[in-house]
Amino acid sequence: MTSVSRVLAGWLTPVALLAVPAALCGRAADGLWLGLTWALVPLIVLGLQAGPRPGPAGGGRDERGSLFPVVTLLLTVGVLLWANIALAGDVAVWLRAPRWQGIVVTAVAGWLLTAWRPLRRTAPLLLSVALVAAVAPLLQVAWAVGLGPIAAWDRVATQAAFRFPPASPWVTTGRSLATAHGRAPLVFDEVHRLTAPAGGTLRARTLDGTRPAEIEWTLTPGQSVTLRAGDELVPGGTLRLRFEADKRVPGAPASGMAWAEAPPRRWLDRVGLLVTLLVGAAALLRAGLTLRLPRHGAGFVAGGLLVAFAWAQAWAVYAVLQSPDLFLGGVALERLLGLPGAALFAEPWRRTLQAFLLVAGLAAFLASSVALRARLGALDPTGGGEIGSDPGLWAGLFGGAALASLWPVDPWALTLLALGGAGCALGPAALYPPPPGRAALATTAGAVGLLVFATFAAAQLRGTGGALLGTAIGYPALVGAPAGALVLWLGRGRAG
Amino acid sequence: MRPVSTRSTGVVLLWLLLAGFLVLGALPNQTASIRLGGLSVLWWYGGLLAPALGTLVAIRWLADSPPRDE
Repeated sequence: MTSVSRVLAGWLTPVALLAVPAALCGRAADGLWLGLTWALVPLIVLGLQAGPRPGPAGGGRDERGSLFPVVTLLLTVGVLLWANIALAGDVAVWLRAPRWQGIVVTAVAGWLLTAWRPLRRTAPLLLSVALVAAVAPLLQVAWAVGLGPIAAWDRVATQAAFRFPPASPWVTTGRSLATAHGRAPLVFDEVHRLTAPAGGTLRARTLDGTRPAEIEWTLTPGQSVTLRAGDELVPGGTLRLRFEADKRVPGAPASGMAWAEAPPRRWLDRVGLLVTLLVGAAALLRAGLTLRLPRHGAGFVAGGLLVAFAWAQAWAVYAVLQSPDLFLGGVALERLLGLPGAALFAEPWRRTLQAFLLVAGLAAFLASSVALRARLGALDPTGGGEIGSDPGLWAGLFGGAALASLWPVDPWALTLLALGGAGCALGPAALYPPPPGRAALATTAGAVGLLVFATFAAAQLRGTGGALLGTAIGYPALVGAPAGALVLWLGRGRAG
Repeated sequence: MRPVSTRSTGVVLLWLLLAGFLVLGALPNQTASIRLGGLSVLWWYGGLLAPALGTLVAIRWLADSPPRDE
């Protein structure tokens, strides 16, 4: 059971759990692909027989003495912790608390759990807590809405437009534009009056005839400004704004049908995502390990992934139905940890259900921290698992991740970067292991794969596009993993 | 040549489930958008059928056989 819970907890980090509903909200077809690959890829990786059969304990080490996989996985775990702690900071800001509070709570709790030996076997318990705490608000929302998930999906898919609900906090009290930090531009589809409850400076790009112009207003508290269709708010503003009820949400799909029937991205992008997750899962779940799953173990892993995907779908549908304002500025992960439907529940139920969601997120993070620590410890070349039990090392890891999280980042992009990098370094050898006694070949292939991955990942910063090249830059594992596999194949050929 | 194991069968079936989603999305005339029982065909497959079948495949084919007496 422990190995099953470690697989689930290591794979189902809070960022991953929220990335699927966020993708479903943003573009249904792409979200389905992400969720399906996220649910099936670990099963594929665990199903691939690689390496020698282990001893009766159920898990074992395939390679010893090589520092390369240890260092690679250590960096991967660090980046994954960074992504999840940064998400905690985003959630704190979204819930109107200081960013550092979310960061400190999660980082300290995670470090304590990994440092205190008696708490290291709590992953199954934490996963169970996360499951109950996430499902309870979902059932409550479904009951309050009075629609099952399929009927709710149908309701969303037949909406004429996504409009601000009158009870939305963006309408009643207003929110800071800094919290709408998604990637979508804030372009208005119709005339919209914005009010600044506390005053401040608002900048927008408008069309002056056919010529674009940038206008800046200095608003006194309570003063309003009216924007026309096609006008766009300049990103980077921190002004608190109130929007009008029943007006279209800027950045939302044109209608429910447009949301449900938007064509998926190019197939090459979908293959890029699949390869990234496949090699990432190979690195994270089985590089250097041979995991044996009995029938009930395989069932638990598959069932856990199925439940997580089902939760993500239902949560996304109810969130879009009850809180279409989550489209404002693009769907960000932290907004999905807020309870949808401002008018659905009265206090104190609303606060209680919100607390359930936060407990679910924290429990999932703690479970993944325990699982990742155990994963790294199992790879320790000294054989004693010292890396997994060094409190100083883990304090440094959590401390560094917490410090880096003070600056907002895209947690999902970081997670993909970590999985892609680890996948290119360790994935090919995990899926296509070199002959016994040739660990150096795996290291060489991993180094080449990682180098190619890093080169293309660095090109992301330049933002260069193009069809094939653009996909390779967007998903560098699409190039890095085959490069590593090629080195492995050539090395095997020479050995033969 | 390595023998085809039950795991290999399971892995192939899981790949087919993933490929099915890509094929469904590539069908002409937006076939995947057709609504059946309030849900699009794509969502029936990608959100319900394929994950459920994946779970069944994992239970049936991916588990290790119990160790033989040695």
